[in-house]
Amino acid sequence: MAKAPLDGIRVADFTWVWAGPYCTLQLAHLGAEVIRIETRTRPCVTRQLPPWPDNQMGLNRSGYFNQYNQGKKSLTLNFKHPEALEAARKLVACSDIVTNNFAAGVMERLGFGFEDCKKLRSDIIMISLSGYGDTGPYHDYVAYGPAQVPLSGLSSLTGYKGWPPMHAGFSYADPNGGVHGAFAVLTALYNRAKTGEGQYIDMSQWECAMGLLAEGILEYTMNGREPERSGNLDPFMSPHGVFRCLDLPERIADVVIDQWVSIVCADDHQWLRLTRAIGKPELAADARFMTLADRKRNEDALEAIVNEWTSTRRVAEVVESLQAAGVAASACADNKYLAEDPNLNARKYFVELEHPEVGVRKHCGMPWRMSATPCEVRAPGPCIGQHTDEVLTNLLGYSASEVEHLRALGALE
Amino acid sequence: MAGALEGLKVVELGEMVSAPYAAKLMADAGAEVIKIERPQIGDRARTRGPFPADSPHPEKSGLFLYLNTNKLGVTLDVTRPEGFAVLEKLAATADVLVHNVAPPEMDRIGLSYDRLRRLNSKLVMTSILPFGLSGPYRDYQAEDLTIWCAGGVCVLNGGGPEHPELPPLKTFGQQAGYQGGVHGATATMGAVIAALRDGVGQHVDVSVQESIASILEMTFEFWPYLGAIATRVGQKPIQPLETLEAKDGYIYVCCVEEHQWRNLVHMMGDPEWADWEIFANRLTRAANWDALKPMLQEYVGQHTVLELYQTAQSRRVPFAPVSTMADLLGSEHLKARGFFVEIAQPVAGTHKYPGAPVKYSRTPWEIRRPAPTLGQHNQEIFGNRLGLSAERLTELSRKGVI
Repeated sequence: MAKAPLDGIRVADFTWVWAGPYCTLQLAHLGAEVIRIETRTRPCVTRQLPPWPDNQMGLNRSGYFNQYNQGKKSLTLNFKHPEALEAARKLVACSDIVTNNFAAGVMERLGFGFEDCKKLRSDIIMISLSGYGDTGPYHDYVAYGPAQVPLSGLSSLTGYKGWPPMHAGFSYADPNGGVHGAFAVLTALYNRAKTGEGQYIDMSQWECAMGLLAEGILEYTMNGREPERSGNLDPFMSPHGVFRCLDLPERIADVVIDQWVSIVCADDHQWLRLTRAIGKPELAADARFMTLADRKRNEDALEAIVNEWTSTRRVAEVVESLQAAGVAASACADNKYLAEDPNLNARKYFVELEHPEVGVRKHCGMPWRMSATPCEVRAPGPCIGQHTDEVLTNLLGYSASEVEHLRALGALE
Repeated sequence: MAGALEGLKVVELGEMVSAPYAAKLMADAGAEVIKIERPQIGDRARTRGPFPADSPHPEKSGLFLYLNTNKLGVTLDVTRPEGFAVLEKLAATADVLVHNVAPPEMDRIGLSYDRLRRLNSKLVMTSILPFGLSGPYRDYQAEDLTIWCAGGVCVLNGGGPEHPELPPLKTFGQQAGYQGGVHGATATMGAVIAALRDGVGQHVDVSVQESIASILEMTFEFWPYLGAIATRVGQKPIQPLETLEAKDGYIYVCCVEEHQWRNLVHMMGDPEWADWEIFANRLTRAANWDALKPMLQEYVGQHTVLELYQTAQSRRVPFAPVSTMADLLGSEHLKARGFFVEIAQPVAGTHKYPGAPVKYSRTPWEIRRPAPTLGQHNQEIFGNRLGLSAERLTELSRKGVI
């Protein structure tokens, strides 16, 4: 069997929370050996956030942590002890990549600034994933994923017409920064293969997020105007929206679950197909809806017609009949819908590995398939410190008695 | 100094956002990207704005100009056998072919990895498709909004528990495309690195739906871990994480860790209510958000955005302003980092664009050329590079193939 793309590449992973771990998840997916350096004295935030099975909290029980740390190893080191710093130096010396998302200056204080790491390994590639970047007047501001969405400008562009700015509904800038960081690390690896030299990468989540809203920024730089929030509408397509379907027939945890479908007609042909699919071919000749300009002018009336049709039907039925007619439509999937999605399951997207504390649970896998160097999730998210002994003895050359000594000192907390 | 991907040769057969963004990331990092567009019409992104002075023009689309920096542009009708033969010539000497041609169209024109690998065993071919190249939705019609919804993210955003009647709300712009693009570029680089090692290329099948399902924070796991549905109408797992209205605009109030909350309480002058049992920790503050929100709103409403932002930051509480476009362009921080880049393009003029996603210490990210005009590099690529004769080029042009 062919080796995974990053087989043999090792990552000394000082990251935590979400952005950094999402970066190193990509590297783990591609076959790198990612060793997360953790400490029980301040466990990763995501180990302490829900969901936990039966709502019973536990450092190894969080679905949040277990999702984004699949395939990685966990080494616990307490940097209050010089012996722990020494072990981390040994790890860096035999790694290809060092990652971190600490506040500015922390890595330098610990002795793991880029110049320090370069002395340990001359061709090291290092990335710092921060909220604001390494330089600039706000470089030491604290940033957390959810606050990066409004900071980036995405919130002021997102929202129902006439409403205040809205969020994206999740800490979008975290995974976006993480995956842009992973891409950058891979370009540096490619370059190292060509030149033999490593380098340092300064990634700002804020800047990565602004790369996603060029249309808003250019509206301002070209025309001096702040774009108006316009809900789910689009200036070049109509209808373009999310419409109500029948609720889920069964209650979940005693709650009625609403269901929605997205429908888009990119041009007049698709609009004609939609009129037939919803059993109203007479609309094709309706002057209110003949052209895009007509449909945009009468969009409220148009949406009411579509909504009337969808609201008495189940999502799957709406999607199937519209797709059969050649109209873009998709469920507005919630997590249950996603878990049962026929396409994701047919493509074996989900990963179900046995975890010692939470058993077998569905986790999201990787969004690509490779024909020659298959990528797979090799292990579930690690329990805290699960690989401490293995890494220290097999990789870093500590004897069993030295490991016990470190443990007795508290250096492996 | 050269970019990190100096020497990497990429051919892009892309429309709108996903494949073009993947190729832009590579081009901006130093790769040579040849972008193929349909003769006469070009990339559909050319028809979307924003346009200077709101005047639509295929060479002035802000979206197109942003997504296609640093690329060489040719026009070629790959749906015709003569055009496909030229594509094969380009693929024969490329390291990467990245495309988002829909699967039914791939079948019609005969675009497949099996066909191209015979010409170039080292080629990495990346297909970035709404639902990937297999599965029952393979041939589904899709637009950015429908894929964003299919990936399970749209349902997380909207009017919240107070307005369950409002539909799930998309995030501004073409977000499905961007996520498909950056995840596709990441997978492509993995395959490129494998090709350097193994001497053979491969096919990379990227699903945009899966790219989105991969970034759902902790929400997806509420189903397999707890049998619970996580949507916009549910309660947030922790609080405060909300946009509130300050004296002169909006501020995002954010406390993830307990010490941040304690610092915020001090910042507010240690009000008595902050000691109430119902606000004891981030989980109970979420459960009692109805009670907490008015308390916070009262405080926030008495201050300006800048006061709140800087006072909170001085206490290590990660507040952030709700930036407008004017705020971004005027930001001293972003100016000091040189984030926005001015790009001059002969037809559209000179404008500021979002710049580098990362800063490299050794291999600079840089704009070497603006997005190509339609067919700008036909002569350079078809004539000089591939050696097609002037007569042949004229003939292909007359037939509408280039």
